[in-house]
Amino acid sequence: MTAPGAPPARMRLGPQPGEVIDRSAPLSFRWNARPYLAFGGDTIISALAAAGERVFSRSFKYHRPRGILTASYLDPGCTVQAGDEPNVRGAHRLVEDGMDVRPQNSWPSLRFDVKAANQLAAAFLPAGFYYKTFIRPQRLWPAYEHVLRRFSAGGTTSAHAAAEYYDKRYAHPDVLVAGGGPAGMAAALAAARAGASVLLVDEEHQLGGHLRWSGQAGLAALRELTDQVAAEDAIEVMTNSVVLGRYDGNWLAVVQRGLPGVTERLIKARAGVLVAAPGLIERPYVFAGNDLPGVMLSTAARRLIALHAVRPGDRAVVLTANASGDAAAADLTRAGVEVAHVADARRGGDVVRAHGRGALRAVELADGSRHDCDLLVTATGWTAPMSLLTMAGDRPVYSQRAARFFPDPQRLPGDVLPAGGIAGDGSLDELVAHATAVGAEAARRASAASQAAAGHSAGAGHSAGAAAPGISSGPAREPVAIPELPAGEHPELFRGRTHGFVDLGEDVSSKDLQTAVQEGYDSAELAKRYTTATMGPTQGKLEVVNVVAILAGLTGRTIAQTGTTTWRPPYAPVTLGALAGRIFEPVRYSPMQPWHEQHGATPLVAGAWIRPDHYGDPAAEARRVRESVAIIDVTPIGKLDLRGPDVPKLLNLLYVNKWSKLGVGRVRYGAMCAEDGVVLDDGVTGRLGEEHYLMSTTSSGAETVAEWAENWLQTAHPDWQVHLTPVTTAFASMNIAGPRSRELLSRVASGVGLSPEAFGYMQVRTGEVAGVADCVMWRIGFTGELSYELHVPASYGLHVWEALLAAGEDLGVGVFGVEAQRILRLEKGHLIVGQDTDGLTQGFSAGLDWAIKLDKDDFIGQSELAWQAASQDYPQLVALQPADGSVVPPEGSQIVQGTAIEGRITSSRMSPALGRSICLAQLSAGLAVPGTQVTVLLPGGQRVPARVMEHLAHVDPEGERIRG
Amino acid sequence: MAELLARSPVTPASPVVADGWEVSGLRSSASLTLADLTPLAKVAVRARPAGAMASALGVPFGRAARDAAGALLIGSGPGEWLALGPAGQEAALRGRLEQTAASAAAGELVTVLDLTHGRALLRLTGAQAAATLAKVCGIDLADSRVPPGAAFRSSVAKLVADVVRDDLTSSDATGGEGQARSYLLHCERSYGQYLFDALLDAGAEFGIAVDGFRAPGI
Amino acid sequence: MMLLPCPWCGPRNVSEFRYVSELVPRPDPAAASPGEWRDYLYLRGNQRGWVTERWYHRAGCGQYFLVDRETATDQTRPRQDAR
Repeated sequence: MTAPGAPPARMRLGPQPGEVIDRSAPLSFRWNARPYLAFGGDTIISALAAAGERVFSRSFKYHRPRGILTASYLDPGCTVQAGDEPNVRGAHRLVEDGMDVRPQNSWPSLRFDVKAANQLAAAFLPAGFYYKTFIRPQRLWPAYEHVLRRFSAGGTTSAHAAAEYYDKRYAHPDVLVAGGGPAGMAAALAAARAGASVLLVDEEHQLGGHLRWSGQAGLAALRELTDQVAAEDAIEVMTNSVVLGRYDGNWLAVVQRGLPGVTERLIKARAGVLVAAPGLIERPYVFAGNDLPGVMLSTAARRLIALHAVRPGDRAVVLTANASGDAAAADLTRAGVEVAHVADARRGGDVVRAHGRGALRAVELADGSRHDCDLLVTATGWTAPMSLLTMAGDRPVYSQRAARFFPDPQRLPGDVLPAGGIAGDGSLDELVAHATAVGAEAARRASAASQAAAGHSAGAGHSAGAAAPGISSGPAREPVAIPELPAGEHPELFRGRTHGFVDLGEDVSSKDLQTAVQEGYDSAELAKRYTTATMGPTQGKLEVVNVVAILAGLTGRTIAQTGTTTWRPPYAPVTLGALAGRIFEPVRYSPMQPWHEQHGATPLVAGAWIRPDHYGDPAAEARRVRESVAIIDVTPIGKLDLRGPDVPKLLNLLYVNKWSKLGVGRVRYGAMCAEDGVVLDDGVTGRLGEEHYLMSTTSSGAETVAEWAENWLQTAHPDWQVHLTPVTTAFASMNIAGPRSRELLSRVASGVGLSPEAFGYMQVRTGEVAGVADCVMWRIGFTGELSYELHVPASYGLHVWEALLAAGEDLGVGVFGVEAQRILRLEKGHLIVGQDTDGLTQGFSAGLDWAIKLDKDDFIGQSELAWQAASQDYPQLVALQPADGSVVPPEGSQIVQGTAIEGRITSSRMSPALGRSICLAQLSAGLAVPGTQVTVLLPGGQRVPARVMEHLAHVDPEGERIRG
Repeated sequence: MAELLARSPVTPASPVVADGWEVSGLRSSASLTLADLTPLAKVAVRARPAGAMASALGVPFGRAARDAAGALLIGSGPGEWLALGPAGQEAALRGRLEQTAASAAAGELVTVLDLTHGRALLRLTGAQAAATLAKVCGIDLADSRVPPGAAFRSSVAKLVADVVRDDLTSSDATGGEGQARSYLLHCERSYGQYLFDALLDAGAEFGIAVDGFRAPGI
Repeated sequence: MMLLPCPWCGPRNVSEFRYVSELVPRPDPAAASPGEWRDYLYLRGNQRGWVTERWYHRAGCGQYFLVDRETATDQTRPRQDAR
């Protein structure tokens, strides 16, 4: 691996016992357009730090130089651009060979950023500055926005980025453990040993948490636990993965990263029990200069040394209030860093301010001493990342003794358990013992819940469910006692004697919080929104306790009284790609789809269906139907098979017209209304046998009608003997329409008499077509022409379709699409439910007066329809013809009288048969009188006159063609 | 007139004709395969969930079992069954079920309905079949939940589909010993190609391959 | 996502179901006044607490059933007369 010009890794240490880098796998990558070297396992930042780089970004508002703070995913100063991908967490993302990494949020360069002038004006950019300054005059806001946009943070995306594969899958662990430190591993092991299936999720690239940087004893414990986890088949480990959120019923969103060929995978996990073992996050300290590159947390320094063999600096000052700080001082010495001074906060030591421009140069301490250094390590306390618990309803409780918040187990549901450091303090053995008990109890609860759920499902022998699965081998039956972890003593250290940054991601200082309180935003939630503290990428995980403590100090309340802000999903930032995942968009095709595609059909998307809209010239297709014969694919028409002695009762209930006397071999049109009298659907139903009917519905209403009918059968009339089976796609449906349709059908049908006497209008026959048995034929006429609708066993649909076209060649048979059908039915004045009606159109407003039989026994919508009929004053469906036949008013055009809206055009087309425009309209009762002149307001504002016609049908109102 | 040919909603790769159906002639020895079994005879039965016909059929909701004649009877809903038989045998299968209804459940309303052309039927086979399904279906497929012979209906790739765990013995599978994990999936015919494509996409990471149709197929 | 206890299929993701309504008794259409009928059509209690509801298992057994739901917490519990 060569990288000419790469700087030497002058801060790289010799091999460390727990290092995660692979020195046998050297890599090269580019940073800021210069070559750098790395080892496998290096993060972008660890590799750069090894080469002595200290500045990795410019801050959000003031464009201050920022370096390493946490050396983890959360690090606010280590967000970089990697290739096309913005906002990459540089202290977490592993280096890949050839990676092109650039700083973001800096212009023109990282070293010289013009917007850093903002920091000189910091006094003029206080909290709420943008709200206060740019609000007036309002008309200038677009101009302000244009300039401010350039000052906003973030990387750049490319419109030319290659498509990436984002995956998703479901998981059903009995126990999901969030956090793979010692507690998480111990909980997972205990749960697995009690028979549970376990999903163990950790954000880092390795399991182990702080054991990885806790010296020889930690490494020994790490090896023991990871070996046991690896040996346990029931534990599935996901590293470089994060639990984003917890939702109802322990529905957990997990994002898994770093998979080969998959950018990210979203796992939707339904867990029996969630064990939250996220450990503790080290808290920064607030003082002047606390954001200078070179100021970092004790855990950051220890990570750099132990995991990546990087010396974090040359000369250090350490501020310590706990064992982590003490250990960091020792680690630094071992790593060859000169420790200039250790200030012990437990004995009154404190940092007053850090000095330096661009990077740390010196530290001023409370005892008045000043120390030149390039590294200041602070260890001033911990934050328990409570997100997953608060998402489950928990409200954190503050402990003054431990200087941090704790979960409140009383508020947690039974299927969420905290384990390890989040729950309390203790030795490693105590934490592991606690987590072991939690894991065993989690397995027990998951098993009990699963058995309870299984008891509720009744189907004998039926077991498939989405609930948490069963545990076969025996978990404890009695609750497992979970030992209490104490709250360890820790000094309360949040802000020192000077003001500094509280939220480094959002560039919010303690002074900004002071301003907010002075201006009256003194509750945690208000101050948060006013200053945007905790609203940045870390979402409070680093800074929330400092914010609360500082607000408490400013308002004279206690921290407990002040309370924390609410933690909501996602736990960590998530890409839109991961949320979208693979997108499922079901598509339906008719059996004749291959033919349509081969013959140039223009597709029409109708719900999930792809239908032929037309084959090039819809007007010609319509003319062919009027003049000779053509066929259309109407497979999407809903079809329901109805059987049983009580089918007529069901039809009488659903439809507004009468069904008791429909004979075998007969077909009838029917319209359905909902209970509010609004038209729901229409179609024809034929009686195929003594107790056998076939109901058709609109294409879009097929599922609705089936569910509607089942609802009445199951809940109102369970005693009725009816079986209803949806058979929509069991048949390929096609309509043969035109004066020569009988002739065409006669050439392919056998065993069925087709003469007008033998097979009249509104009749149904079953027979063989083109050699295919069991075809249902009904003689109906949506187009207004003599026509036959064939329902053919679907697998033979293409065969029959091609047979019809071949048999009718000399008749000039053609095909027509949905558009031609719409023209034809409009010429005939046939209603389309949902087009000529809407969600308020009751039956008498849909031209259904002739069908509605108010004297029938109870049918759905009867009361409302009776009241509608009695009111006399309701809109009506009418046919309209514009005076100027060349004007086609767009559907939705209003019909007006002066300024009053009197109706609207529901359907309009140019009629090929009449050579003029024709319409259907909903029109108020007063105007719905044949011969009335009305005014149509076109969308452009033009008003055109139109006449109300005598019949809905523009063509053949007497219906002679259809009965021919 | 063209030869009478039945077609599946799934466009077959390397088409051949078997039992009057145009089917795929592919033969795959991949460890994870997807085959279109739409030609199989499919007959639905509706009856009371706990009536005489239900007893005569002997397969409860949520289970699937083969009858003496080799048909696979699936308890696909409360009072709802689907029987699968060899391609081209739908009339015989229907006749047999009607006979059962006439002899065992006279007086009960029983519907026997040929749905051969109404459903698309697929078979997903291989050790990674459950992992593939877990990418499109929210049901827990653990052996304790969906053992061999279990059946359920749920959302699969946002589609309402029926799933049957119907493991294959090694003689049917690709040479290995013992049982091969296998699922039958069926949905409304018009969605067949979509479901087929969704499963191929889900199985891509496991090296899924299309397998053809081999009579009798069940 | 909440789980809903289907009396036939066991607990399933709520996305498999269609919500129908609170359980509202249907008045006799022949006897009901317009006021009573429209109360039935349009008025719902929308209470906080345990409510009996009808759901439809659209992507499952295709059955309508009753279930009790706590409207503030989305807890559910099966009913003896669910089917």
